[in-house]
Amino acid sequence: MVEILSSVMDGLLIGLVYGLAAIGLTLIFGVMDVVNLAHGAIIALGMFFLYLFFGAGLHPYLALLPVAVLGFIFGVIVYQIAVRKIISGPPLMSLLATFAVSMIIIGVGTALWSTSPYNINFKVTTYNFFGYTVTSARLVSAVAAVLVTFGLYYFLYRTVLGKAVRAVANNREAAELMGIPSQQILAITFGIGTMLAMLSGALIATLFPFTILSGGVYELKSFVASVLGGLGNPTGALFGGIILGLIEGSVAPFIQVSWTNVIEFVIFVGILLFFPTGLFGGRK
Amino acid sequence: MSAVLELTGVETGYGEVQVLWGVSMQVEQGKMTTLVGANGAGKTTTMRAIMGVVHPWKGTVRFQGQDVTNLSAHDKAQLGLVLVPEGRQLFSDMTIEENLAMGAYSKRARQSLDANLKKVYQFFPRLEERKKQKAGTLSGGEQQMLAVGRGLMADPLVLMIDELSLGLAPVLAQGLFATLKQLKDAGMTIFLVEQNVYLALALSDYAYVLAEGRVKIEGPSHEVAHNDEVREAYLGI
Ligand SMILES: Nc1ncnc2c1ncn2[C@@H]1O[C@H](COP(=O)(O)OP(=O)(O)OP(=O)(O)O)[C@@H](O)[C@H]1O
Ligand SMILES: [Mg+2]
Repeated sequence: MVEILSSVMDGLLIGLVYGLAAIGLTLIFGVMDVVNLAHGAIIALGMFFLYLFFGAGLHPYLALLPVAVLGFIFGVIVYQIAVRKIISGPPLMSLLATFAVSMIIIGVGTALWSTSPYNINFKVTTYNFFGYTVTSARLVSAVAAVLVTFGLYYFLYRTVLGKAVRAVANNREAAELMGIPSQQILAITFGIGTMLAMLSGALIATLFPFTILSGGVYELKSFVASVLGGLGNPTGALFGGIILGLIEGSVAPFIQVSWTNVIEFVIFVGILLFFPTGLFGGRK
Repeated sequence: MSAVLELTGVETGYGEVQVLWGVSMQVEQGKMTTLVGANGAGKTTTMRAIMGVVHPWKGTVRFQGQDVTNLSAHDKAQLGLVLVPEGRQLFSDMTIEENLAMGAYSKRARQSLDANLKKVYQFFPRLEERKKQKAGTLSGGEQQMLAVGRGLMADPLVLMIDELSLGLAPVLAQGLFATLKQLKDAGMTIFLVEQNVYLALALSDYAYVLAEGRVKIEGPSHEVAHNDEVREAYLGI
């Protein structure tokens, strides 16, 4: 029994990190209708950025800060180069553009780091609560995911710039008419979405070994979580991530890990069929 | 008199289809100018071309003597050229308060945010009562008040409004017109597109009649109101 509960707890904690990744994906979709196919590659890049700063001597948790800054800058650059021009075009264009970005990241990443696994080797404490053992790494990653999510909400609902992001998401043309530079806001939004994806990647890197190809799994999880929560809805995506984590945690003691993907995608298809706007309603 | 806003030979359209054919207009400082015309005449397109939401293919738009033809809409808004667009175009998932705050996004508007907010709530007390309500859940009349209020928050030098009274009960429409009159008396320049030709001509100083993308008639509003063609086509007299 304790074993099952432990597994469910682990699932909850990792689910928060999935949620953070999903928020990055869903934010970009919600604001500019772009399905970012580079999401997984960006998550993997976040893992390697953390690895680099860690290698340079920073504590992994301290390294989260420069990873966030780099993630934001990287996102803004990707937006300006690959997305800006085609933002008003047909959806297929942005799919192809972000897919190309993904191929480039993975190509360069493979050249630099090959596809062999890396890991972040740092001191991890293990706690024991009534028979449930949990590592500090898991706890910290979950707490960090929650804090970043709160930060995002504070930004979107309490700051002028964040409100401008929501205004542009609501009605880009009206935003322009009110003096809001919509292209700049979109670039910032893409930067934030990328930052969240990289942070989630970095947090995952503190838990598991990773390769430059690891992002794919988390990209799929992000899609499932986003759709569960209603595409474009950040809170929904967080809960979608938690649900995914809980499912993984509760089935893990009983079946092989490879089956969790199957279960997740059955849920994914089911949600698309029966709750096309997600369990929590789409958009904000 | 000096024209604060001036269009010269503006041509534009959508894709291959040309809508405006050499439109020239002048909006005088401190005056209310109105633009009337049948459905599909190109009134909205004119407003959009002024703001640069659709790009003029030919011709120029000058604002305060400066050529602003190729500026983006947000740059023009920053300069004080503000359009309350057709169909309200509110930020429907945001509250009244947030919509108004977004109206004051530009640097110059932000400085006078508090004063303008007070003014807007004075004109439209109902907006203050409901300031936490989402714009998308407001009634049509309330939405129109919010659209105008949001425009005022941008601290316009020239306030352009596309269809002020569309879909509003006559009482409400007259209330909004009275508000405009007060604004004009306080010195604001107003450029108005209006379906209610009778009211528009009664209140404005100068009028343009647009037909099939061309200025057909122009002149002081009281003269235009007595023009036989206008009386027949738009006033139904
Ligand atoms: N986005 C668009 N794409 C293609 N054609 C358009 C578009 N918007 C307007 N048009 C066309 O341009 C012409 C002028 O439209 P416009 O909206 O400027 O007219 P209007 O005078 O504002 O009419 P109304 O009184 O009905 O608002 C119409 O024939 C319309 O069909
Ligand atoms: Mg119109």
